[in-house]
Amino acid sequence: MSKLKGAIVAAKPSVEKTIIGMLEKSMKKGVFDAVIIPMRAPSGDSFAYVLVKDKSLLKDATPLPPTMFVQGAKAVSSVTRLGKGKIKIAAVMRPCEVRATVELAKLGQANLENMTIISMDCPGVLPSSDFLKYPEKNIKLFNEAAKKLDDKMMRPLCQICDKSSMVSGDLHIGTLGAKKDTFFLISNSTKGDDAANKLGINLKDNIDSWQTKVKTFSDEKKKKRKKAHKELKAKVGGIDNLVETFSHCINCHNCMRVCPVCICRLCYFDSDKVKHSAEDYLERAESKGSIRFLPDTTLFQMGRMMHMSISCVSCGACEDACSMSIPVGQIFSMIADETQALFDYVSGKNLDEPIPLVAYKEEELLEVEDSDD
Amino acid sequence: MKRKIGVYVCECGPNIAEKVDIDKVIEAISSDKDVAVIKKFKLLCSADGKKFLEEEIKKQDLTHLVIAACSPKDHEKTFMEVSEKAGLNPYLFQLANIREQCAWITEDKDEATKKAIRLIRAAIGRVRYHSSLEKKEIDSNPDVLVIGGGIAGIEASLQLARPNRKVYLVEKAPELGGLVTNFEKNFLSMKPLSEIINGKIEEINTNENIKVFTNSEVDEAVGFFGNFEIKVKRTDAEDEPVQFDVGAVVIAIGSTLFDSKKLPEYGYGTLNNVITSLEFEKMNKSGKISLKNGKPPKSVAIIHCVGRKEKGYCSEICCMYSIKFAKYLTDKIPSVKVSNLYSDLCIPGKTNQKLYEQAKGKNVNFIRFSDAEITKSKDQLSVKYKDENGSKTNLIVDMVILAPAVEPAVDASKIAEITGIYQGDEGFFEEEHEKINPISTSTEGIYIVGCAQGPKNISETLVQSEAAAGKILSSLVPGRKIEPEVKTSEISEALCIGCKTCLSICSYGAITFDESKKISVVNEVICRGCGNCVAACPSGAASIKHFKFKQLYQEIREAIK
Repeated sequence: MSKLKGAIVAAKPSVEKTIIGMLEKSMKKGVFDAVIIPMRAPSGDSFAYVLVKDKSLLKDATPLPPTMFVQGAKAVSSVTRLGKGKIKIAAVMRPCEVRATVELAKLGQANLENMTIISMDCPGVLPSSDFLKYPEKNIKLFNEAAKKLDDKMMRPLCQICDKSSMVSGDLHIGTLGAKKDTFFLISNSTKGDDAANKLGINLKDNIDSWQTKVKTFSDEKKKKRKKAHKELKAKVGGIDNLVETFSHCINCHNCMRVCPVCICRLCYFDSDKVKHSAEDYLERAESKGSIRFLPDTTLFQMGRMMHMSISCVSCGACEDACSMSIPVGQIFSMIADETQALFDYVSGKNLDEPIPLVAYKEEELLEVEDSDD
Repeated sequence: MKRKIGVYVCECGPNIAEKVDIDKVIEAISSDKDVAVIKKFKLLCSADGKKFLEEEIKKQDLTHLVIAACSPKDHEKTFMEVSEKAGLNPYLFQLANIREQCAWITEDKDEATKKAIRLIRAAIGRVRYHSSLEKKEIDSNPDVLVIGGGIAGIEASLQLARPNRKVYLVEKAPELGGLVTNFEKNFLSMKPLSEIINGKIEEINTNENIKVFTNSEVDEAVGFFGNFEIKVKRTDAEDEPVQFDVGAVVIAIGSTLFDSKKLPEYGYGTLNNVITSLEFEKMNKSGKISLKNGKPPKSVAIIHCVGRKEKGYCSEICCMYSIKFAKYLTDKIPSVKVSNLYSDLCIPGKTNQKLYEQAKGKNVNFIRFSDAEITKSKDQLSVKYKDENGSKTNLIVDMVILAPAVEPAVDASKIAEITGIYQGDEGFFEEEHEKINPISTSTEGIYIVGCAQGPKNISETLVQSEAAAGKILSSLVPGRKIEPEVKTSEISEALCIGCKTCLSICSYGAITFDESKKISVVNEVICRGCGNCVAACPSGAASIKHFKFKQLYQEIREAIK
């Protein structure tokens, strides 16, 4: 955190409008050639990521929408998976989306070389199903709640998010601890410095009040998170509880499809490897007395935990997409905290830190080795 | 095609027969699906046993073979050879280990019999899904890469270069020769060295079978004995790396000296006229031994064992070259007084003692010391030390020569990483066995010679270079065939998502990334079939021949049913 530099920027008439103004200016000056940013759909009842090439359209952008139908990392990955491209793009996202983007870059699924990532202090997002009931009303409610930092109506995972101000992109909009009608523009990289510089913003202001507030806020959330995970573990821990929890699963695999870091081209659980003959199923039924269909729903979740809990950013996209209201995101966030702690790794925190799977150390995980030798 | 699986149970003398009820095993398995025949035999690995198997495979017209016997480590190869001889692809065979993993680990015959049945059924379950694999044969490459153009690398190159064998000699510096080019004379014989070295370099330069790369370093070395793929890049230009193949690699990157500045009590770097042994060699070779003020020294202290305590080993050569220095000095400055301060004098060998006896005299003395400290004393240097009896002594001299410990070359860890060989605790490359395999490494086909392996004098270095050349000349004979691994990894183009996890995990450098398709690609000649990539691939795109999902699944399924 120490290398962060910041400037206090006047927010007139609002933070959102100022951000949009800055983006317009950046495009005009050629700092960026395009912007990836959420925008309200013409129908009014949804928000989507849009790659904006015509800067006059930016006025309709919503840097901090009330929902997250598509995780932003997926948008960045779609644009840059095959290479950095020739144009400079700014992407405006929430911190968990930035972190997923960083993980994808490490996994070769996004190229951030020509990309400037902008994040902001995040108040959380509304569960999609809640939002869709009364979009207009919910936009208002969200904006009010966001102002008051009231997370009660947000996704359950947002309520226990301790990284809602984590800066792992290039620029960050800090609203916590800011004086009225101002915000902090914080740079985390030379790309960020460069962009601010070209916009004539001097990154020399004191950002202590933001940092202090972020720390207090995140400490509070950490406590809440620990408590929630403890309660959850009592409910879902152990194979019997886990099987029980996933017994409603209808095997739609939506959780996997919306997950920003689930990158397999073909999921093992969608492959021929899990298609067995009638004899095989009969044999399994015979050994256990009976076998439930669709089979392997718990195994699917456990496989996913093994594969991606190291990169999980606790965004809650999976839970949001679960039509059976399984608290799958909360379970994954709990597992992810533990697996990441094992390797002293925080997903998406730092692009230069390799994913533990590829960083072999001779002296690690000694506790799981044979103690005999 | 209908499968006809033949199952043969080996009694292994009494080894298996005593603990496993083989007749019961045969009874249980004989009616299993696809089992065409099941028989027992006293000792299948014997000449009779092999003959029996060969005849059975032909007579029963088997499509697959299962043998229940010992550990695959013992006789898998034996039975694969029998299969091949009988015309059955050796990969259509599976060995069930009912000796080490069954008969030998229990007294309970009933349990052992049950387990034997499971293990054999697991082998049958697996072999059913085996596919024929074809062995490939490639010509081994007789060429050799020599890393390091000092005396060790020069000698190895000269010994190896032949009309039918090319040598690639890679040197980081602009010129060949290395450290020894700084030496006027050789210890012991006190013969001039330049002529010998220059002669050898000349020989290298005119030898058309040696390709020299100066200002260059090895960027990549992947493969195995008989087939290494090498990339060499220039250190002074951004040129594309040069690529070539070799069959063996000789590492002769030499050594460097312990940084005397790490021991401030010796005043190196801060006091005038305190110099290192290498600086003295250079000064001597330039023709004039002199102090900073241009005058010749009247008295010189040579301090041995600088950094020995810190490094934890004796550098072998310092005592001897210090005697050589005393001779340089007394030959050129007749009145000079030379004090050798040593903590242990190490001058082994059949002739070295003689030179020591000759050097020792009224102007050259040897003092055992500890706790030395060098300070300025007017225009001179004061060497305060404790002598053998512990009494403090102050020696005033004009010049101090430090003999620092010999350290691994700066690039040692980089070379270790590129070639995959190991460094010992001291950082020198680790030989396969200190005594019986002193120039081989844990990787077949990669040899270490000279000071890269540890401190060494010139003659010992030359012996190692010759030894490495001998090993290569006798084993890497032109025309020798090598069989790359058959059970290699494959990466499915359709499934690979291009996350590159496998690239950093492959220990053999066998995987490259196809930037246009954004997928990983296995080099089948380099792949050793370890399976690391298969385990690591998050997308299930990597698989390994003979360890296919279905084969393992069916094996496990039968074992735990």
